[in-house]
Amino acid sequence: MTNRRSFLTGAGAITTAVAAASVSRVAMAALPEPVLQTHAETMSPLVPTTGRPYNPVVTLNGWTLPWRMNNGVKEFHLVAEPVVREMSPGFKAHLWGYNGQSPGPTIEVVEGDRVRIFVTNKLPEHTSVHWHGQRLPNGMDGVSGLNQPAIPSGKTFVYEFVARRPGTFMYHPHADEMTQMAMGMMGFWITHPKVKHPLIDDVDRDFVFLLNAYDIDPGAYTPKIMTMLDFNLWSWNSRVFPGIDPLVVRKNDKVRIRIGNLTMTNHPIHLHGHEFLVTGTDGGPTPKSTRMYEVTTDVAVGQMRQIEFLADEEGDWAFHCHKSHHTMNAMGHEVPTMIGVDHRKVAREITKLVPDYMVMGERGMADMAEMEMPLPDNTAPMMTGAGPFGSVEMGGMFSMLKVRKDQKPGDYKDPGWYKHPPGTVAYEWTGILPDPARFASEGGKSMPAQNMPAQEIEVQVRKPVMGNMKH
Amino acid sequence: MTGSTMNKIFRLSAVATAAVVLAGCASVNIDQTLADTNGATKPFTQGKLELSRTEQQQQARSKLSNDLLAKQLSMDDAVQLALANSPAVQTLLAQSWADMAQANQAGRLANPLFSFERARFGSELELNRLLSFGLLDLLTLPQRQEISRGQVAQAKVQLSASVIEQVTQVRQAWVRAVAAQQTLEYAGQVNGTAQATAELAKRMQQVGNFNKLQRARQQVFYADATAQLASAQHAATVALEELTRLLGLTDAQAAQLKLPEHLPELPKEPLQAVTVSAKATQQRLDVQIARNQLDMAGKSQGLNLINSLVDIEIGIRRDTVFDKAAATKTPRTGYELGIRLPIFDWGTSKRDAMNAQSLAAASRYESTVRGASSQLRESYSAYRTAYDIAKHYRDEIVPLRKAMAEENVLRYNGMLIGVFELLADNRDQISSVIAAINAYQQFWLADSALAASMTGKPTSMVMSAPASGGAGEAAGH
Repeated sequence: MTNRRSFLTGAGAITTAVAAASVSRVAMAALPEPVLQTHAETMSPLVPTTGRPYNPVVTLNGWTLPWRMNNGVKEFHLVAEPVVREMSPGFKAHLWGYNGQSPGPTIEVVEGDRVRIFVTNKLPEHTSVHWHGQRLPNGMDGVSGLNQPAIPSGKTFVYEFVARRPGTFMYHPHADEMTQMAMGMMGFWITHPKVKHPLIDDVDRDFVFLLNAYDIDPGAYTPKIMTMLDFNLWSWNSRVFPGIDPLVVRKNDKVRIRIGNLTMTNHPIHLHGHEFLVTGTDGGPTPKSTRMYEVTTDVAVGQMRQIEFLADEEGDWAFHCHKSHHTMNAMGHEVPTMIGVDHRKVAREITKLVPDYMVMGERGMADMAEMEMPLPDNTAPMMTGAGPFGSVEMGGMFSMLKVRKDQKPGDYKDPGWYKHPPGTVAYEWTGILPDPARFASEGGKSMPAQNMPAQEIEVQVRKPVMGNMKH
Repeated sequence: MTGSTMNKIFRLSAVATAAVVLAGCASVNIDQTLADTNGATKPFTQGKLELSRTEQQQQARSKLSNDLLAKQLSMDDAVQLALANSPAVQTLLAQSWADMAQANQAGRLANPLFSFERARFGSELELNRLLSFGLLDLLTLPQRQEISRGQVAQAKVQLSASVIEQVTQVRQAWVRAVAAQQTLEYAGQVNGTAQATAELAKRMQQVGNFNKLQRARQQVFYADATAQLASAQHAATVALEELTRLLGLTDAQAAQLKLPEHLPELPKEPLQAVTVSAKATQQRLDVQIARNQLDMAGKSQGLNLINSLVDIEIGIRRDTVFDKAAATKTPRTGYELGIRLPIFDWGTSKRDAMNAQSLAAASRYESTVRGASSQLRESYSAYRTAYDIAKHYRDEIVPLRKAMAEENVLRYNGMLIGVFELLADNRDQISSVIAAINAYQQFWLADSALAASMTGKPTSMVMSAPASGGAGEAAGH
């Protein structure tokens, strides 16, 4: 714990304090000053200087909300407001969020803390905050209409409860929920254990992020809020690869990653190079007897998963959602498959009509990553991200776990590309290729097929060989 | 018979002779007439109207035609070519000359009548000579000449009107021919896109990426586009042949004809409504014709009134009687007057008819003036609307389409849309261009119709509704 305090940078240094201008200063006087964030970089962990000590988390491309202690109560101030979030370099989205960003800041408290959260609504419509997964008085659960009146525009409401159980939580609106979540209103909540918990291990690095998805037409800025499943931007903390920061660790660090899913589909999250244990779910830490080593864990809709592993393999390890189209980004689902289609002559003809036309997809979609052609304004490219050996051909829910033996404890700076020891990178074989020995008696007539058609059907495989098509 | 009487008679005959001589001198000068017409229709003919009668004129005309055909024929060139080359225009001029000569005839005196009698009575031989002419003819000659001049002037105006009509037809045919050619070019491009799409769809099916239905869906565009191309081709031929006929081209000349690829750009500013005011109404030829008719009706009124009542013939008589028995020769002179007696017909019907005709002419003039200004307003509206629509196409719809096309290429680049969507959008863009060409055509047709309306005769202009700018979703996907 103490050594972790050494990388403390302090709340004042990591946040830009800006008073919320449109809410009356008199009304604000009694409130903790809201802290707003103007950029989307991953912040160093916020080590507590007041209240009970705990081991802070790192929010991927995010930050933790500072608080003030008021007569033993931890006071936070969330401001619900429209924000502009840079989802990847050069691609900005007009979202709704909290305190300048979407998702909002992570709230970190300690088991048993009395927490008071001021929520100021600067949205054009009413809102509420639901504290997803918490044990709390019914009137604090944040379902507008059911537990409380919705917070009108321009008003500030107060939530107050005791963080009763340690674990991983989320917060999000429960008023006009579909719109507000489609617009990016959500945040993370961590309740750290007060005392050493038998099922909660100490870790060296504790990362958190939310899975979220948007539907923003290429060239537009605002998400389409009516979309049900056909989202085109799959993001972690509203960032898309290559805009997502890597998860940087020191070799042999014990690492915890907490993932919450606020999209409308499940995400099989997959880590390369290591096996992990699922040590916690929505309900808290899992019993040890239920834990098994895995390399992929499915995070279903509205769920949270907490995985832990020992980062004992150096390198740059891919870490991503295993639904491959979630690692592609904005793409046209109606684009026909062009693989194997000979474009000669036709392409020339089309170029006459559409001068900027280039053949794409004839050999697959890797063209996309290679060509770098102009896209509509404010469009995240589909498959991109330059690695040390070329394009990573990824987008969306994709990042890397970077394990380095010389990474200092508490240092989250990107160490650059991994320098592979000689002879440890796949290479081209230039020698002779011997004929493979093949098993020669496949099939046979030991079990002849019954009821065959009178004539044997010949399966014709048409190979997409260029230049030999009769037309 | 006294000497003074004789003197009177001879004086009268001298006047008659002089009148005959004078009347004979005033013939129609067609060259002057054409110069006048060129002056009156300057914006239309640019002074190039000419009737060729001599070999030299013929050659000059054919040289001009050849020069014009050697280059790309602009709208004004087309007018010049028609004036120089079209047999129809020459027919018009010759016919007009004939009409004017006819009108001129009315301003002349009827030839005097000479009668000779030879009669024998016993020993007497009588030779009677009578030179007679219509006295009224002579007395009304100045008046009739004036009417005749009016009729010639009328024929001139009529000629100008016909020239303007002819020129307007040439201009409009030129506009149609160029537009049809332009439309054909774009129909060819649509067809090209459709063909590329169909070919690609065929290849898609061959490698198994498309099923039959998907391929057929793309193929059907090509099939449609081919049919449209064929009819565009015919429409272009029809328009070109209409122009060929109006230019009066021979087959060899028709083969030489070269039209520009595009209709002219729109004028920077449209004509303002004040330019096309009531002042223009007075200059209009149909108004002038009606006024001439009214004037002539007024003049002939008095004349015909006399004619309807009296008809006086005067004759100079000189008889000689030879008496064989007496061996004498007795001359006898005198004059003869013949007067038609208004007993049965006091001329009331004729006067009624004349009155009615004058009344009709007055009303016709009034109605022409009124109609002219209304018709001019309509022509201006057609002109202005066509201008605004064409400008709207140029400044709004086509650029929007272009922007959409550019955005779609970007979307294609990002694999957000496929090549079939890209091509379908391209087809839509071309359709908008065709609609824009149509709008330009409408403008130039309206422009020539308005010009004709302002100086010439009313030329009606039916505006066709503008085609949709393709606001709907792109078809074909």
